[in-house]
Amino acid sequence: MTGFFVGKLGQYALVLWVAVTLNFFLPRMMPGNPLALLAGEEVNLLTPEQRQEMMARVGLDQPLPVQYVNYLVNIVRGDFGYSYQKNKPITTILLDRLPWTLLLTGTSLLISTVLGVTLGALAAWKRGGRRDVSLLGGFIFLESLPAFWVGMLLVALFAVQWQIFPTYGAMTPWATMAPDERLVDILRHLALPLTTLTIVSISGTFLVARYSMLAVLGDEYINVARAKGLKERTILFRHALRNALLPIATVFTLNLAFAVGGATVVETVFSYPGVGRLTYEAVLNRDYPVLQASFLMITIVVVAANIVADMLYPLLDPRVRAGQARTSGGG
Amino acid sequence: MIWHSLRRNRLGMLGLVLLGGIVLMAVFANWLAPYDPSKLTGQPFESPSAAHWLGTNDIGQDIFSELIYGARVSLLIGVLAAAIAIVIGTTVGLLAGYRQGPLGAGLMRLVDVVLVIPFLPLMVLLAAYLGQSIWNLVIVIGLLIWARPARVIRSQVLSLTERDYVLASRVVGAKDNRILVRAILPGVLSLALAQFVLAASGTILLEASLSFLGLGDPTQKSWGTILFYAQARNAFLTGAWLWWVLPTGLMITLTVVGFALIGFAMEEALNPRLKASRAIAVSSKPAPKKQSNPGRATDTAPSEPLTSTVRTTPSSGRVDKIGAE
Repeated sequence: MTGFFVGKLGQYALVLWVAVTLNFFLPRMMPGNPLALLAGEEVNLLTPEQRQEMMARVGLDQPLPVQYVNYLVNIVRGDFGYSYQKNKPITTILLDRLPWTLLLTGTSLLISTVLGVTLGALAAWKRGGRRDVSLLGGFIFLESLPAFWVGMLLVALFAVQWQIFPTYGAMTPWATMAPDERLVDILRHLALPLTTLTIVSISGTFLVARYSMLAVLGDEYINVARAKGLKERTILFRHALRNALLPIATVFTLNLAFAVGGATVVETVFSYPGVGRLTYEAVLNRDYPVLQASFLMITIVVVAANIVADMLYPLLDPRVRAGQARTSGGG
Repeated sequence: MIWHSLRRNRLGMLGLVLLGGIVLMAVFANWLAPYDPSKLTGQPFESPSAAHWLGTNDIGQDIFSELIYGARVSLLIGVLAAAIAIVIGTTVGLLAGYRQGPLGAGLMRLVDVVLVIPFLPLMVLLAAYLGQSIWNLVIVIGLLIWARPARVIRSQVLSLTERDYVLASRVVGAKDNRILVRAILPGVLSLALAQFVLAASGTILLEASLSFLGLGDPTQKSWGTILFYAQARNAFLTGAWLWWVLPTGLMITLTVVGFALIGFAMEEALNPRLKASRAIAVSSKPAPKKQSNPGRATDTAPSEPLTSTVRTTPSSGRVDKIGAE
């Protein structure tokens, strides 16, 4: 048990370290003036004295190892730097944006997992049957859709053409509303981005659920259950699914990274004020510190979700409880 | 039985037809396109007409011509990035599967790290630093998506290592490197090809996403870049989405579907885990007898189906095979 977690935590610590170190070295190793990269092109207009002062403020006047240690210490303290373009501490900006991204990706992951696993199990029952082939074909198609394109079409149809949903944002700005009205307002704004993100991320779960069900359905006890004359639904969802859950849980965490990426373009289309939209704005404005901090923030969220999922494994599958030692190898 | 496998192949055939059409379009772009897509050949924001079948964009370039030439850029970036990813993935998979010492363990650790890092935000970050060029997109995408193929290849290597012909070449005293290159590599090549096709469907989408976020090369517009401008000019708030947004995204989708269908057809035929579990639905063909003559063993390796007699369960509880992207 402990060995498993120590191995996993080591891996996640490594991921975070890689992300932070990349962030540190990117502006300093790129051709061009690191000060301009960190504080904006305007620094080229400053007098030498002002620039020197700016260097000191960003911390670029110190030797590289000292900068690195300071950088790490700041990150641990939750200080992600300063955006000179937005004139705000980046941590503040991120904390404003993060809840929206969590709401969007969290809900979408939940829906796509439940739907994907159910349909994957149903498809696996008769491999190559009509249901399997049409579901498989359908999901390969869904997976091939560019998320932002689906979003643009949904806006054009449901928001502009038929005016059922709002075209942009996460809630109606400048409006005073009762809490229940506000909730409805937020859900109405969430509907289209959520649909978009779910459409493009559901097939990952479906495919893996189908694969792992296929593997499980070949086992003896399934034949026994069939021989007993149990109903398809009972065999699938009470006997087989339970044993297929672990790979599905693994994929859930892998899908996280995928969903977060999808959220970046989806939020962009809907001007949804999450971290993804922030990334887009930062690309357009070449606001590198914000871009870096967004990447780091998303990495932290993904790692945290992975840790939660790892803690849930043993609850899902007694084999993990019994055989933790085997899985700790990292293979 | 034959009916079942035909149906599965039918999806693969559909993929081939789709992709074939798009490749032809890219190859013959200068014959097919009515205009040079970089020239201003009309007024801005024209609706479709006989002169401009899909209207014009925000500065008066012909959208239909952009669409046709876009195939070149999108396919080029996608295919090259996938190639980079598969070369890295196959190398890592081979080494990690065959050298099970510290090198193998270290490589798998690296694979795990790369798999956890949210790749799109990192690609965005790197592409923003490197600047807008199609080569930068190729590098950034290729360098970040090799981990899944590496895992798949590694599982295959693990099962190949136990085959008789590999053991045989070891018994006759072949060196490790020779075994790796002459006996094991041929056995993973077709799987690597399937992974390449699947990876390409992913890279086309990733390129589109990155370009849509404004990281594409504005002088060589891919489909993603076309949509970036459509988004920036709010085409989807006007009627222009019908000719500007809809066809462009459809091209991306068809290309990705094409690659994905071919890749799936290949993978279903190659994946040992699936083949073994198929006993109920479709009875598999009898496995060809393996060569037991050690002298000829390595020569027969490539032609031997990968799928015949492979152990089905990986030793750990995790999936080694994650399916497609």
